[in-house]
Order: sequence, then structure tokens, then C-alpha cells
Amino acid sequence: MTYLLFDKVTKRYGDVEIVKPFELAVDQGEFIAFLGPSGCGKTTLMRMVGGLEPPSSGRILLRGEELRAPDRRRGMVFQSYSAFPWLTVRGNVAYGARYRDDLSAAEKREQVAHFLSLVGLTDFADSWPNRISGGMRQRVAIARTLAAGSEILLMDEPFGALDAQRREFLQLELRRIQQEEGKTVIFVTHDVEEAAFLADRVIVFTRRPASILAEVDVTGRIGAERTLELREGTEFFALRNELLHYVRSTATEQEGAA
Amino acid sequence: MPGSKAIIGTASTLTVLLAWEFVSRVGLVPERFLPAPSVVLAALWTMIFERDLLYHAGVSTLRVWVAFLIAAAMAVPIGILMGSFRWVGAALEPLVDFIRYLPVPALVPLSIIWFGVGEGTKIFLLWLGTFFQLVLLVADDVRRVPHEFQETAMTVGAPGWRRLTDVSFPSMLPTLVDNMRITLGWCWTYLIIAEIVAANSGLGFVIWQARRFFQTPEVMAGVVTIGIIGLATDQIIRALHRRWFRYLVR
Repeated sequence: MTYLLFDKVTKRYGDVEIVKPFELAVDQGEFIAFLGPSGCGKTTLMRMVGGLEPPSSGRILLRGEELRAPDRRRGMVFQSYSAFPWLTVRGNVAYGARYRDDLSAAEKREQVAHFLSLVGLTDFADSWPNRISGGMRQRVAIARTLAAGSEILLMDEPFGALDAQRREFLQLELRRIQQEEGKTVIFVTHDVEEAAFLADRVIVFTRRPASILAEVDVTGRIGAERTLELREGTEFFALRNELLHYVRSTATEQEGAA
Repeated sequence: MPGSKAIIGTASTLTVLLAWEFVSRVGLVPERFLPAPSVVLAALWTMIFERDLLYHAGVSTLRVWVAFLIAAAMAVPIGILMGSFRWVGAALEPLVDFIRYLPVPALVPLSIIWFGVGEGTKIFLLWLGTFFQLVLLVADDVRRVPHEFQETAMTVGAPGWRRLTDVSFPSMLPTLVDNMRITLGWCWTYLIIAEIVAANSGLGFVIWQARRFFQTPEVMAGVVTIGIIGLATDQIIRALHRRWFRYLVR
């Protein structure tokens, strides 16, 4: 049975069509990047997986079961307001585990400590989110979704507000964590290089209403292991250019760019 | 720097006081209209030790706090519900808005008919003046809580009503304390009106009594007392705000 299936999913707000009938099958443990121009509807699709918005028609199935209301199987990592400022780093991660009834209090504490260490924030456990860097706040959010036991991570341009070095470092970290924990990720971005570096498979979107412009099998081309050296290699460069080409073609129609 | 701020504040206050003293002393303004600060201070002194000023100040402060706490205890939960559930907001907002625009003094006669001239009227008027303001402020603050926070709670499995206690309330709490500090100040306005109209205790009563005998220094001493209480309350709440919400400091 397909792990995660988009079954002719559409979205419209009144007369405005946001998402054309959308079909996609995602394997468990697969890292999918939704790449496309801003406002194209890719975020809406991801939010529908989270149960934060209902599809106008069609269904999203997890192991054959239709997904509706949000629950902790699908965790969100937002670009901003990703951590509660009134809780410490540890408090934020612990909030992820708060409503788990499959764990005892001691097991929850253990999990929180484990995920804090996994994202490298053990030394900052008692800090307030406002006092740590933006990159660290995103790691707090990742640890929180892991503590919640989410099997699917939904990430909405999570590194969009970070500078280039932090971004690259967090991409490496995220890929490592995702591989170690075997999580399925849907990662929304408009950054071509980010999509190519992180994902197993990149879905390139057209302008709104969203539909699939191209589907690129990244792991088939450059393998599952991602390193900084790989990023400088010719294979990655070719892949990046190919994606860039698709993304440019979405811009030409309306903006007249080359 | 807090040190230099305190120095500037003290210096400007002293300058105003000195100028005032000078204007009164040289007789630019007749003393029955504007007694010098030193005269007001002397009046304050006699009123404290001979005319139970502190008792009246205590009575007024108690009235303000009782009415304010009742108003706040009602406004916070109702405001959170109004801001969180569209239909609650839609149901209550027209009524709240209507009453909010009524000037409190216009309701004094009605309040006396309903509650007589005892404590009931005073508490009711103060409640009226603050509850309807505060409830709308709370509702607006709840609506301003980032949707990301709410959705984070939903996706870790928090049940619906828990989102109010886990997210809405703590998220808006710093603004709430600020809004309460400001509405508490308004309470004093309504209190004095209530005490002038119907009371035989409290600062409003003291001021109004002094006016009847044209005791301008006593009138001003009463006003100054309110100012001092207001200033002290404000500073205490600000200090608590800084202490409670240390996490806001970047």
C-alpha cells in the first residue's frame, strides 16, 4: 500500500483555483521537496497534509486512511514563530511530548533529552528562544516535532530567514537527522539549491494554480548521502542547473525574464 | 540607561515644582487659585495626621481594586472566548461596543436607582468603565496570536480547548498586563466621579468637601495623593512586567 498518497487533491478559495487536481505517491522515509515560485500553492498542499486546511476535493491518504484533522503524526516546522517564547528550549521540546499517552513521564523526559542532544542544543536547554540564534530556534522546532513522535515532518521554508552559512549547516543537520530517524519530510522551498541538496525527490510546481511541472529523482542521480564536497561536484551542478531551468520557465510567462 | 532616565525624570519634575513655587510666591497667580507646592505639602501633612487622609486613600484604593479585579476576572475569559471563536465574538461585540461608548457619568443616575448610594454603585460604575474596554482589548490580543503558535499546538495533539490555555493565554499575557495597567488608571477617573456624587468617604469625597470651603491647598493635596498612588502602582506593575516577562528581552 502507498504510504502517503495525494488522490486528486484540489483547492479553491471561492472562484480562485489554488491547486489543480494533484496526484503524488510518497514512500515512507522519503524526503520530498516542493519547489516553486512564491504563492504558487505548494504551501497550501503541505498544509492540507497537516490537516490545517481541508482539500476542496480529493483525499490525502496515510497508509490508506484519509487524513483530516491535525494530530501529532504530522508535525509542522514554520519559518517564523517556530518556538514559544515563554517556554525555554527544553520546555518547547517537552511540549511536543506533552500529549503523548504512549510514554510515561520518565520516558518523556528521556526522549526530550535525547532529541535535544540530537539537534545539538543540550547546552542551551535552559535558554529562552529569544536569546538564541534563528538557526537554533529552527532546531528547537525540529526537536519538538521529533519529541511529538511525528512520522511526517512538514517544513514551510524553515531556513528562509537564515544567513547562508547557518543555512548550509542546518541543511546538513536536517538531512543527517532525517536519515537517522527515518522520517518522511515534505519540505517547501523556493531555493533551487536547497531543494537539490536536501531532497530524495524534487517536485517542481508551476505558477498558481499549482500543478506538477517536473519531477526530479535526486537520489537516483547523486545518491542518498549528502556532503559539502558533493555540493561542489559536477553532478550536483548539473542537477541544480536543470532545476533552475524549470523554475525559470515558470517565471518567463508573466515576468518576461530570460 | 535606567540611571540617567531617573536623573532626567527627577530633574524635570523638580524644575516644574520650582517654577510653580516661584509663580505662586511672587503672586503672579492668587494663592486661592494656585497655592505653592510647599503650601500643598503642608496641607497634605495636616490632612494625613489630623483628617484621616490615609484612611480615605485606602478606601478609594480598595474600591478601585475590588471593581478592577471583578472586571478583569470577567474580561479575560470572555475576551479569550470572543477572540478565539468567531461566533462568540459576533454575538457579543455589538453589545459590548454599544455599552463601551456610553460615558460612565451618564449612567450615574441609573446606577443610583439600581444600587442606591452605597458601595454597590461605586463598584458597578468602575466595573462598567473597565470591563467593556478590557474585554475588547483581550479579544483583539487573542486574535493577534500568531497562527503558527496555534497550529503548533494542533500538530502536537493538543485538544481544542487546551489551545486556549497552552497558547492563547501565555502568548497574550505580556500585552494583557500592559492593558490592565492602563485600564486600572481609568478606574480612578470613574472612582472620583462616583465618590463626588455619592460618598462620605474616599479621596473624591475629601476633594469635594475641601472645594465647598474653598480650601484650594486641600483640594490639590487630594489630587496629588491620587497622582502619587497612580505613579506608584504604575511603577510597581512595570517592574513586575519586567520580572515576569524576562524571556521577551533579546
